[in-house]
Amino acid sequence: MNRKDLIAWRCAQELKAGQVVNLGLGTPTLVANHLPPDAGVIFHTENGAFGFGGRPDFYNADSDLTNAGCEPITLLPGAALMDLATSLGAMRKGYIDITILGALEADAEGNLANWATRRQGRWWPGIGGAMDLCHGTPVVIAALQHTDKRGEPKVRQRCSLPLTGRRCVKVIVTERAVFDVGPRGLVLREHHPEMDVAALRRCTEADFELHADLKPFALPCHV
Amino acid sequence: MPDYRNKVQAIADAMAPLRSGMRLMMGEFVGAGEPACCVQWLLRSGITDLTLIANTPGLRGGFLKALLFESGQVREYIGTHVGTTEESTAAYLEGRVLVREFFPMGTWAEKVRAGAMGLGGVLVPVGVGLLDQPGIFPQRDGPKPVLALNGQTYFVEEALTADVAIIKGWRADTFGNVEFRQTALQNQRDLAMAARYTVVEVNEIVEVGQIEPERVGCPGVFIDAVVQGHTLAQQHDLYRRHWIGLGRLAPAAA
Repeated sequence: MNRKDLIAWRCAQELKAGQVVNLGLGTPTLVANHLPPDAGVIFHTENGAFGFGGRPDFYNADSDLTNAGCEPITLLPGAALMDLATSLGAMRKGYIDITILGALEADAEGNLANWATRRQGRWWPGIGGAMDLCHGTPVVIAALQHTDKRGEPKVRQRCSLPLTGRRCVKVIVTERAVFDVGPRGLVLREHHPEMDVAALRRCTEADFELHADLKPFALPCHV
Repeated sequence: MPDYRNKVQAIADAMAPLRSGMRLMMGEFVGAGEPACCVQWLLRSGITDLTLIANTPGLRGGFLKALLFESGQVREYIGTHVGTTEESTAAYLEGRVLVREFFPMGTWAEKVRAGAMGLGGVLVPVGVGLLDQPGIFPQRDGPKPVLALNGQTYFVEEALTADVAIIKGWRADTFGNVEFRQTALQNQRDLAMAARYTVVEVNEIVEVGQIEPERVGCPGVFIDAVVQGHTLAQQHDLYRRHWIGLGRLAPAAA
């Protein structure tokens, strides 16, 4: 598995049958590929559907049936459609149980930054539905690579970029570690078997404690 | 039977009230549910200096509405995001299109809904303490107004209205009662109500009485002109070809 798939595979294990789940754009959309068909999760897409399923083939791709990234989707039995204000209202009001969001940075307070980087003197690219999700969803999982392209840590003591949500992240998942966000900061719950705690401290800006039940990722045998 | 006026028009006639400098609302979600034929007419129209009010700039890869950012016809954009297309990203970063602020999608949807329903605005808790920080929106005219109510702080978000809206439905009767398909419902009806003049582009035009009343997603009372767009089969073909080009759909087996 590449790093993105490793993150998505590990995020998938945080989901339980019956939960209403919204997957953000990018790596989080890959999470659905790592769930068994009988996982029982109800996926929400902010353009207006509960209960969507996998990708259609060419002949079943419907130009009026898409996800939030305008990719063709299918609906599973029991799906429900709604208008945009209702769908975003469901996010704001807390009807989504859990959301997995890509992040530029996440920090020890559970803050999440994912809507803006500085490009040519401007904040880019924009907000979309991420801020509504951070505002209303009880469990936000930040899914991000452990370091950026220059090797700088993305799990920070404090985010430096404009925030999408304040104190909203409950779990941080990277290709190297899973952290719970607790009242006193981060708690390392799992780590990649090839990364020991000392190595993780070197590539993580935030301080973290160790979970009483700290264990390595139970990597699937095909990795 | 009531006198249901026939509102079917050629696109050029239906779009006649749209002039340079106007505020234009358009239905869509990252390129899905776009009024394709009206966009193509707009690109050839010479109309400029538009304030475009749309959820997102559209779908990447040189697709429909996004080309309005490349052609320079959009002076200001009011939406949630500029990063969904290459054209809007370039126009924004090079300062060719003004974006005073980005709105969380739920906030944008409620601002349109307030405009649709005749309200002055809405109170929104999302982004308080985040989007009002110094330097976040330097193009905005002054700080975002806030109001405290029952112990919670809200942004006071003004209603959005427009001169013209162009929405996209599946089919409409000649009076403009519109039926939508699947996730293309979006907030097309709110946009129709929020503008002074609204055009609906559809895949199919039918006689009054052929759409079951409970299937009408946007009543014809909110519609001023009905135009024929692509057929549904042509629309599927347009999106499937674009999706294949973006690697989002596997081509049909030979």
